[in-house]
Amino acid sequence: MNNLALKELLYKMADDLLILGHRNSEWTGMGPLLEEDIAFSSMAQDKIGQSHALFQLLQQLGEQAPDTVAFTRNAEQFHNCVLVELPNQEYDFSLIRHFLFDTADALRWEMLTRSSYEPLAQLARKIQGELRYHTLHANTWVKQLGSATEESIGRLQHSLETALPYALGMFEKSPYEQDLITDGIFEGETKLQEAWKKEVEKVISSTSLRLPDWKIVTPAYGGRAGKHSEHLQPMLDEMSEVFRMDPTAEW
Amino acid sequence: MYGGGNTFEGIKTDSLAQEDPAKLAEFEARIARGEKIEPTDWMPQLYRKQLIRMIEQHAHSEIIGALPEGTWITRAPGFKRKMSLMAKVQDEVGHAQLLYSAAETLGKSREQMIDDLITGKSKYSNIFNYPTFTWADCCFISWLVDAGAIVNQIANAKGSYGPYCRALDRICAEESFHLKYGHHCVIYLATGTPKQRAMFQEALNRWWPPMMHFFGPSDKISVHTEVLMRWKVKMGTNDDMRNQFLDMYVPKILELGFTIPDPKLKKNPDTGRWDYTEPDWEEFKRVINGDGPCNKERLEVRRIAEERGRWVREALKSPKTAYVTPLA
Amino acid sequence: MKSLDPRVNRLPVPGSPGQIAPKAPLDQFGSFEVFVQPKEGKPFQHEGIVHAPNLEMAFVLAKEAFTRRFLCTSLYVTDTRDVFVSPTTEGEHNAYDLIGEASSDQPKESYEIYHLPRRGKQHIHAGTVEAGSPQEAMWVARQTLNDKQVFNIWAVRSAAIRRTKPEEANLWQTLPDKKFRDASDYKGGDKLKEFLERRHA
Repeated sequence: MNNLALKELLYKMADDLLILGHRNSEWTGMGPLLEEDIAFSSMAQDKIGQSHALFQLLQQLGEQAPDTVAFTRNAEQFHNCVLVELPNQEYDFSLIRHFLFDTADALRWEMLTRSSYEPLAQLARKIQGELRYHTLHANTWVKQLGSATEESIGRLQHSLETALPYALGMFEKSPYEQDLITDGIFEGETKLQEAWKKEVEKVISSTSLRLPDWKIVTPAYGGRAGKHSEHLQPMLDEMSEVFRMDPTAEW
Repeated sequence: MYGGGNTFEGIKTDSLAQEDPAKLAEFEARIARGEKIEPTDWMPQLYRKQLIRMIEQHAHSEIIGALPEGTWITRAPGFKRKMSLMAKVQDEVGHAQLLYSAAETLGKSREQMIDDLITGKSKYSNIFNYPTFTWADCCFISWLVDAGAIVNQIANAKGSYGPYCRALDRICAEESFHLKYGHHCVIYLATGTPKQRAMFQEALNRWWPPMMHFFGPSDKISVHTEVLMRWKVKMGTNDDMRNQFLDMYVPKILELGFTIPDPKLKKNPDTGRWDYTEPDWEEFKRVINGDGPCNKERLEVRRIAEERGRWVREALKSPKTAYVTPLA
Repeated sequence: MKSLDPRVNRLPVPGSPGQIAPKAPLDQFGSFEVFVQPKEGKPFQHEGIVHAPNLEMAFVLAKEAFTRRFLCTSLYVTDTRDVFVSPTTEGEHNAYDLIGEASSDQPKESYEIYHLPRRGKQHIHAGTVEAGSPQEAMWVARQTLNDKQVFNIWAVRSAAIRRTKPEEANLWQTLPDKKFRDASDYKGGDKLKEFLERRHA
């Protein structure tokens, strides 16, 4: 098994989940309705928890402790896609991002239940229920707001168009793509992207929203290779403000 | 999280004279037997009014209470603290959800209560009008403000109104996590580096006066509060609550080697009660009436959240469902 | 607004401070009653309400509002308007004694029956009956489920309930692992003990 390939996969997944979990947590206490405030926060907690579990797998592979890795790297050392680091904006954008990301995330983890890397397959099987809730939540909300008022449809449509290039950036290929497939660790970004498009089309087609022709959407790549938007470093500085006061201290 | 305080000032018992004496006697006998009042039961107008006011203030205190700790939600140090703080602040929102529902059973809608909060018509616990300058301020709230709230909430859970008691039972069960989490955070600061210890000592110095305010001014039992005590709306005096809190937590703070910024604080062996420097009640009143360091910000943040959520709520409204008063 | 909270500093500022367009009274979401089964084999019990625009959203929102901690194996919700409520009794009076005979020529269907075993407690699922109307369901329940004193009875048409679907049974799979929401996960005792020993040394 190619350890470099495996670690690359784990890092990008762990970083995606950490950064999006962090972004989504910013809504806690400020959500559009009380019940949704609670639901959105729970899913953010799930993401941080899943990220932590992946960093623990990395630690078993010889990487540093989860807190050190998560709270002391700089932006260019992060492998998350740019989609997850973008500011929350209004709820329409946060919701569309949640829908686009979690649809891919659920499919990715579903594939990983068959991974030849058993610790990852085990984790994937364990969190299926969390992922089911995330997609149930995202689909229900997108279907509701995507077919409600002129304003809600317009907002979601605009956010969808803004987010789609970044969403395609989720599937930026790893330099080790072929190794991962050959070793049976992960079935690959191409297959994942195809499954994701089908699922997104299915949900969007049941709303008043429109998907543009995929051919004219240019993927925003770079995140997997550490090339990020101007938003990530300030977010990381904020996230690690207390931790970096004294990284040797226990908090 | 909720303290006592301003809730019961100046109630008028005039309306009692208009109540049906037979029904009133039956109602009071039910409470005296230790039975709970359920939403469909007859109740005096004054009981309904005071309960709405109290439960609503409690709910507002939860939703506003999410903000001072939320100040550190994006900066919690390490995975574990990050998840815990998110879950804790989320619980405060959840408590508001439960409490608004309990108040709704008495006939005031949640949206009406939220509007009254934003326009300043109804109050919330004074302590959340103070700022959280550092991570240690956030830990102070998680541990000690929640501890104070638990003292109050456990007492209120023995009250007479069924829906409020049910909400409080649930809330108290969740608060045990808050209290342990908060204490855990403070133990780590206390046993950590000199800088960490200093951080908490400074937070303690800042938060002690508002903590003493938290339980409200001394309340002598008057004719007015006597009726609320008999109806098990008010479950103890503010001084009783403050004393209980001091009994339970002063030793725990001292054990960690911190200094409480009140040279007069001492348990009086003769009375069995705590002596302390009289809190500055002028400041308390000033802050309650809107002139605290964070009043404007707290309400403004709630208002902005409400405005930003408006399109979501408008879009979801459907003629197929209609608001009705919750059952229980 | 300059705040200590970086999130607040990023907020847009719509509208004007201190002003909010008042909502029309009662022009708001519906109410939905939430029931939770804490353990396999245990009856469902009433936990509270959520406000939501429809039954499906109520289910999605109730899941985190009411089952994010403690044990849960299943959840369901129903529109408050679909709950038929008996009078509430007190003292020695059984609520079933106030249920009059009722029959219906409507086709029979299932109704879920809930009891309030004590004032101040939660309604608990008592059983399912077949009836043509809620009144008839209460009357049938009086014959079949009336084995001890209760203070209040609810009847809900089974078809009006959004249940957990079989494929959703794993929604609570990791609940026992979410220790960070549990008081028992915060043990500072050893650190504290060591600290106290150091201080007293």
